[in-house]
Amino acid sequence: MPDVLIQYQAEIVQAILETFIMVGASIVAAVLVGLPVGTLLFLCQKGKVLENKLVHTVLNLLVNIIRSFPFLLLVVFLIPFTRLLVGTAIGTTAAIVPLAIIAIAHYSRLVEQSLLDVPKGVIEAAISMGASVNAIIFKFLYVEARSGLVLGLTTSTISFISYSTIMGVVGGGGIGDFAIRYGYQQFRTDLMMYMIIIMILLVQLIQIIGMTVARKIDKR
Amino acid sequence: MIQLKTVSKKFNNEMAIQDVSLTIQKGDIYGLIGPSGAGKSTLLRMMNLLERPTTGDVFIEGKSLTNLSNAKLREARKSIGMIFQQFNLVANKSVYKNIEIALELANFPKSERKARVEECLKFVGLEAMQHKYPAQLSGGQKQRVAIARAIANNPTILLCDEPTSSLDPSTTNEILSVLQSINQTFGVTIIIVSHEMDVIKSICTRVSVLSEGQLYETVDIMPLGIHTIEAHPQSFVDALRMGGE
Repeated sequence: MPDVLIQYQAEIVQAILETFIMVGASIVAAVLVGLPVGTLLFLCQKGKVLENKLVHTVLNLLVNIIRSFPFLLLVVFLIPFTRLLVGTAIGTTAAIVPLAIIAIAHYSRLVEQSLLDVPKGVIEAAISMGASVNAIIFKFLYVEARSGLVLGLTTSTISFISYSTIMGVVGGGGIGDFAIRYGYQQFRTDLMMYMIIIMILLVQLIQIIGMTVARKIDKR
Repeated sequence: MIQLKTVSKKFNNEMAIQDVSLTIQKGDIYGLIGPSGAGKSTLLRMMNLLERPTTGDVFIEGKSLTNLSNAKLREARKSIGMIFQQFNLVANKSVYKNIEIALELANFPKSERKARVEECLKFVGLEAMQHKYPAQLSGGQKQRVAIARAIANNPTILLCDEPTSSLDPSTTNEILSVLQSINQTFGVTIIIVSHEMDVIKSICTRVSVLSEGQLYETVDIMPLGIHTIEAHPQSFVDALRMGGE
């Protein structure tokens, strides 16, 4: 292993851990909140089973507004809210707040798109069998859209990694922050390159896992 | 018995169905025929309220469907099976699971589901296919699975929306004979929408002709020919009559 990596081993391990925490929390937020929000966005569309113009318009606008922010500005903009929620706006835990919010907005849009790919006829068949809205969601929509949902989460996760790299501005740490502070600002270009390689490997790994799972569960 | 009473349906200011009334007797194989855009699918879809009439009402066994609460309507739909031109199977569920889901939704006792699924598969001649996925089946096989799914919960009515329109002629005949045997074996009332004269002629006992959202004529198809109940000059009926002689 190159000397520089051994020299900064502890910091690098710490940075990787911070990235994992931030990205992991984003994934949890995406699944727990983004999935229901995306499903609601879909179901409230015109002609769908929960058609509701008000709910759709409000959610749609909210998702668009959050996604319009340059992420760095969103982080800064959310500082008061973050402080209210976790008591501080600095550190890895505080970094989770803006990350979770962008994660929800990002994934909910991809969920909505995946659900749009489910043939209308399948939903009609479900309705004709007397399926409730819950049954339509869990026994038809999610079953039929599952590979799209996994691919969407893969794409989202890779974006979350990218978003997490700028969390250095609020002391969130992570690989990106380490690369800038130790690599770029201290003129250790080699250290920066190694960090970029770690990121590339991480993204590759996630993409491969996502693709493999999506292909395995797709029987269409 | 299914009764439509002066039902109309408006889509964006266009009348898809205009004041149609008709009665379908228990045990009939009833055909709805007409050129495309005549509103026959819309009319069929009113019978389980997939399409809610703008005005008028739908009665099943004398009970209005349009006044039911959501929960009651779901209950009512469990005894009205439906099959579609595009089959509408769940592509990510195996053949077995596609049929089981109908039983699950109907709260069919869990311990009896397996036997019932196998019974239905046997009825449509696909017992060997239960572990396959829809993508591995031919069109005719997919429609058989859809039929098995539709009859799993012992419905009294089976709605068929262009059930053979994406199938070749010999598969069409196979599917029609499956439908006929469902009608004869279980006494299920069947309503078939089709634009194909041959389909209607070969199995229907009574036919209504639709054109531009209106009912033109209803005829009985007897073994010895066609008996007109309410006559209107209409090319579809002429074609039916010619074929019958």
